[in-house]
Amino acid sequence: MRSLLLVLVPLLPLLAGLVTVFAGRRLGPRVHLPAVVGIGAAAIAALLLLFTAGGASGTGHGTAAPVEHTVELWRWATIDGALTPADGSAPRPLSLGVTLRLDPLTATLLVVITSIGLLVAVYSIGYMHDDPDQPRFFALVSMFVFSMAMLVASSSFLLVYVFWEAVGACSYLLIGFWYRRPEAARAAKKAFLVNRVGDFGLAIAVFLLWLTYGTLDFHDTRLADGTLVPGILGAARLADPTAIVGGAIGTAICLLLLLAACGKSAQVPLHVWLPDAMEGPTPASALIHAATMVTAGVYLVTRCAPLFVAAPGALAVVALVGATTALVAGLIGTVQTDLKRVLAYSTISQLGYMFAALGTGTLGGFTAGIFHLVTHACFKALLFLGAGSVMHAMGGVIDMRRFGGLRTVMPVTAATFLVGALALAGVFPFAGFFSKDEILAALHSRGWPDAHASGHHDESPAAATPPAVRVATWDRRAAPPLIPVASGSAASHRAVAVSASGGAAADGPLDWLAGPRLYRTLFWMSLFTAGLTAFYTFRAVFMTFTGPLRLPPEAHGHGAHGHSPHGHDDHGPSHGGHGGHGATGHEPAGGHGAAASHESPPVMTRPLVILAVASALAGVVLFIGHGLARFLAATPSLAAANVAATAVPPVFHWDLAIQGTLAAAIGIALAAIGHYGRRSDGPSVERFLGPLQTLFARRFYFDEIEHAAVVRPLEWLAAVAATVDRVVIDGLVRSVAHVPVALGGVVRRFQGGVLQRYSVAGVVGVLGMLVALAWNLWL
Amino acid sequence: MNGFSTATLLILTVVAPLVGAVVAWGMASRGPHAVRQSALVTALVTLGLVAILVLRGLADPALRSGGAFAVSTVPWFTDGPFDVRLSLGLDGLSLWMFALSSLLTVTAVLVSWNSVREHVAAFYALLLLLEAAMLGVFAARDVILFYVCFEFTLVPLFFLIGIWGHEERRRAAVTFFLYTLAGSVLSFVGLLAIVVWNASHTGQLTFDIAALTAGVRAHPLPMDGTGGWLQWLVFLALLAGFAIKVPIIPFHTWLPLAHVEAPTGGSVDLAGVLLKLGIYGFLRFSLPMLPEASAVAAPWLFALGAVGIVYGALVALVQTDLKRLVAYSSVSHMGYIVMGLFALEPTAVEGANLQLVNHGLSAAGLFALVGMIYERFHTRSIPNLGGLAARAPWLTTMFVLFTFASIGLPGLNGFAGEFLILAGSFQRAWQGVAAEWRPAYLLLAAGAVAGLVLGAWYMLWAVERVFFGTERRAADSHGHAATGAMHAAHADHGGRSHDGVFAAPAADLEWHEWGAIAPLAVFALWIGLFPGAFLGPASAAVRGVTAAAEERFAERMHLDAPAPPHAAGPHPRAAEPIAMSDPRTAPPAPTAGQR
Repeated sequence: MRSLLLVLVPLLPLLAGLVTVFAGRRLGPRVHLPAVVGIGAAAIAALLLLFTAGGASGTGHGTAAPVEHTVELWRWATIDGALTPADGSAPRPLSLGVTLRLDPLTATLLVVITSIGLLVAVYSIGYMHDDPDQPRFFALVSMFVFSMAMLVASSSFLLVYVFWEAVGACSYLLIGFWYRRPEAARAAKKAFLVNRVGDFGLAIAVFLLWLTYGTLDFHDTRLADGTLVPGILGAARLADPTAIVGGAIGTAICLLLLLAACGKSAQVPLHVWLPDAMEGPTPASALIHAATMVTAGVYLVTRCAPLFVAAPGALAVVALVGATTALVAGLIGTVQTDLKRVLAYSTISQLGYMFAALGTGTLGGFTAGIFHLVTHACFKALLFLGAGSVMHAMGGVIDMRRFGGLRTVMPVTAATFLVGALALAGVFPFAGFFSKDEILAALHSRGWPDAHASGHHDESPAAATPPAVRVATWDRRAAPPLIPVASGSAASHRAVAVSASGGAAADGPLDWLAGPRLYRTLFWMSLFTAGLTAFYTFRAVFMTFTGPLRLPPEAHGHGAHGHSPHGHDDHGPSHGGHGGHGATGHEPAGGHGAAASHESPPVMTRPLVILAVASALAGVVLFIGHGLARFLAATPSLAAANVAATAVPPVFHWDLAIQGTLAAAIGIALAAIGHYGRRSDGPSVERFLGPLQTLFARRFYFDEIEHAAVVRPLEWLAAVAATVDRVVIDGLVRSVAHVPVALGGVVRRFQGGVLQRYSVAGVVGVLGMLVALAWNLWL
Repeated sequence: MNGFSTATLLILTVVAPLVGAVVAWGMASRGPHAVRQSALVTALVTLGLVAILVLRGLADPALRSGGAFAVSTVPWFTDGPFDVRLSLGLDGLSLWMFALSSLLTVTAVLVSWNSVREHVAAFYALLLLLEAAMLGVFAARDVILFYVCFEFTLVPLFFLIGIWGHEERRRAAVTFFLYTLAGSVLSFVGLLAIVVWNASHTGQLTFDIAALTAGVRAHPLPMDGTGGWLQWLVFLALLAGFAIKVPIIPFHTWLPLAHVEAPTGGSVDLAGVLLKLGIYGFLRFSLPMLPEASAVAAPWLFALGAVGIVYGALVALVQTDLKRLVAYSSVSHMGYIVMGLFALEPTAVEGANLQLVNHGLSAAGLFALVGMIYERFHTRSIPNLGGLAARAPWLTTMFVLFTFASIGLPGLNGFAGEFLILAGSFQRAWQGVAAEWRPAYLLLAAGAVAGLVLGAWYMLWAVERVFFGTERRAADSHGHAATGAMHAAHADHGGRSHDGVFAAPAADLEWHEWGAIAPLAVFALWIGLFPGAFLGPASAAVRGVTAAAEERFAERMHLDAPAPPHAAGPHPRAAEPIAMSDPRTAPPAPTAGQR
């Protein structure tokens, strides 16, 4: 039953996608049905799975017995005897199975993916209402849900890579959905290529994992002869931390995985694709580029938690990248005027938050990262869909300077957007408050380990209980064996605690980074970012929904359902398919007035309401009794010995909660002052920031720098290569082949009806010559 | 068909296109449509025969254990000391390429349906002759037959390019012919040297490939200072022909020219099958018969392959002719295969062998689609195209699909091969080479992975410019495209439109174009999802032919450096000395599978 459900979750959206592809046109106005039904059924299956995935909760935090369930669907490829272990044992096959897994982490993410997917699909019924290419849209959304579900349910690094790329392909096709617009086409290509840079890291990481561990499976498998092959993240290995490779190789693998995560999850410096990805339809942005796909990197790092914990240097880099991204993206977000771009930078920033949490390398940090992933999925999807609703009403205009005071015409959108904004800003008791607090607490625990050890945990460090707030690493100074055997082989290890005094015995190349000083800095950065978040979020809320009603002219045109994010000017060409858009004026299903802007139809507002409820409640519900954290702790990767050793008893940190709330309050207040206190001669934020404003508005020049440092040199190299090819290599060949070109006349003479004769003559001649040659040689 | 033995069936299969060629030629008087139909029937019948052969072969245990099936031998000329036989048979090495040849002929016939309007009978007769030669190459079990077919593939293609090609067809045809002929004549000398060496040491003049392989294993060609360098010379002679054929850079410049000028049908066969003959030659002759020389050359060819990946991708990036771009992508992708082959690592070699088929499918698909674009807009110039997606959504969908296959998107075939090649290459670099080789190997392997990024760049950029964005009128489209549907109805009935005036085909794919492209797409998906089904039958044969070279390579590497980086204990093979005269008659037994 469990296996069946697990297979159904990805399978149903896949079928929905296929049905839409092959029967889409025949379904007519019901083209959304397969997607909605398929994803809806998958959501139900995922919910059911949630109840079967939990383990018998252990007595305390971090002691849960790992829960894991795997289903092998088929064997993708097997290469016998591909790897000869150094210990002289029999060669091992490279065995690549298509295996799905169920554990609490997977179950949690499956629910997020399918339920947000369902709401987005329903919303799209209204949003994509009169797009002529609806079948393509719904097919792609279904395929995306399939790919994403497979990504989190895969039980091998190979499959993760497969669906890592597959979600990237869906993203590519959805960003470029309105392919007639050059911007969309370019943004799609950019997204794919930047992601490919990340995939480059993932590919090499996969190869190194294969060479280091002799398998690519997460789970333990058995060979035909009954030998146990411990999976990289399987129970056999995770029970014994010495079987996890740290040191230089471990750090390299983790950094490569991080590179991959940076691509998919839009972390600095690979974040540049995500703001451009807003060229896609807004529901797709909400689903893929806000709620689910971009969190794949967070998932990957969490899944590989034991590997990262064994490489503290890499963890420090994760935290550093995350906190930096959070700050940089937050700063850029403060000056954006495009509502969707504000949200895009906010997504990047919040993902950075999650990475900062993961980078602490503590169980609390990993669960906080996933907690924030879940709450963020709710409120960011809500905000994006709300922005889409605004755009829908504004005739495609999304520049916040061109509209205002929309709360009167769009009450539902305004109210739900406000809920989302409160959740994003981290205001009590909305969802973001709780998850952000957990992240700050995780960072704090690494920055001030003594304070935590004494303040929250009255135990002497020498006690025999698992060390509190310590990151255990294992001395891998000796060259790691090619394939560490699950237990016993590497007996010469010693556990070293990287405690408050700093990583004295660290042996990875970057381990010196992982001191408390780093985490203290990151904590303050994150706290400041929390204030920034509140500021830019409420700046957007005030600009869009409060004040006197202001509408752009596009919003008045009847039938101008700006379901594509572009101005009026290029509206025509992009919808050439259904001819004379403005003139034929397709009336919307909701029956709302044609003359002025309006609230969106119920099919769009209802998902907003549902998401608003979730954004308001998810935090507190999942926080009570640390429900989510406890649930996740039974994930094998998080129940691994070295991860579980970092657990601290769950405590609610009042001091941190107050600091976080203060930061949010200051941010909101500043946004209010900035908005209401502004003069007519321009927004005050920009004036206040002065030259920094340009820096933020130009996005720290990341695009320009990367273009000059990477793209230009490669283009130059390509031009040189092409010239060399033409002039040098081909030139040589031509000069050699000069004489025989005269023989080209032969073709002319024989191209009539004597082809056969020539062919036969030629072959006979060549043969004769060769036979003679052979004869001579042999004699 | 069950009444026939597989051997008879194989002979019939190889002969069928020859008969079909004569029939097509004879149909000339009945008009072009009759010719087309007869050619299609021949291609389909051949494909059907191949399908039966493949199915029966898969059921044959000999195949999976590395042996051959459907073996038949007919004395050809056995006068005097000669013992040349028409010996046919298929094994794991040749099975998929044999099948691909017949599949791509159907594609070639269908893509030429409306685009070839002059000398239709001659065109199709040549196309079928080409098929016979391709099938013959892969089915040949003896050197002479192999070489005759190998050379004979040149003749039809020479005419296909020279007569039905584009503007610079004459130069392209002659360059192509002479360049590849020059190389393969050297190859033939090399092959004959092997025959003669074998004859002088075993006292038996045989041209049988299996016998030759066993013979030169027992009496290896000298490869050291004392006995001379014959093996090395022979290897270089074979390399001359095979490297040009693949092509390995820097011997590739004939390829873009030939592709750009070739008619679509010719490009399909050229990219899909003929390039693979070089790799097939390495697998069939160089690696098993000259393992010592192969081991010496392996690092350099590995490097040339990796450099070719990046080099081909970079040159492809700046191309403005869509067909030329795809041609350079072939140079780049063949680099993966060369690299995988000369990684001499089981994973990589099996991947390379699979990638032969994969690249055949995706490159043929892309060339076919480029041809369809050319038929519609009379240009292949990327700047003159644009916004095709709006007019031809299915054409676009298929092009994007093959683009994905080509850039190695998982779930499609290209990924399966490239993944295995790269995994194996990394394995070789990580643990299988001497310490001083290691950084270079790692760098090359990483460069090959970077090729994935570059590959995505040039292909997706091309897709963006050709299919997306706003529609641009092709410079010389005569304004036909707008009324395409009307003309298409015409074209369907046998291209009765007058010569000189091109009837614009329908905006989107027509039935014969679907027929050309859909099977390739199906196989691209099939191999992508279930590569094991295609790897399995080939595995034992591939491992059999590369095992000797792998061993020699390991010996070289570990003798040069006593302490390999990551091996804890002494390597079991390291102690074994190189002994050239050591009889190694039996190839190492392939590892028993547990599939």
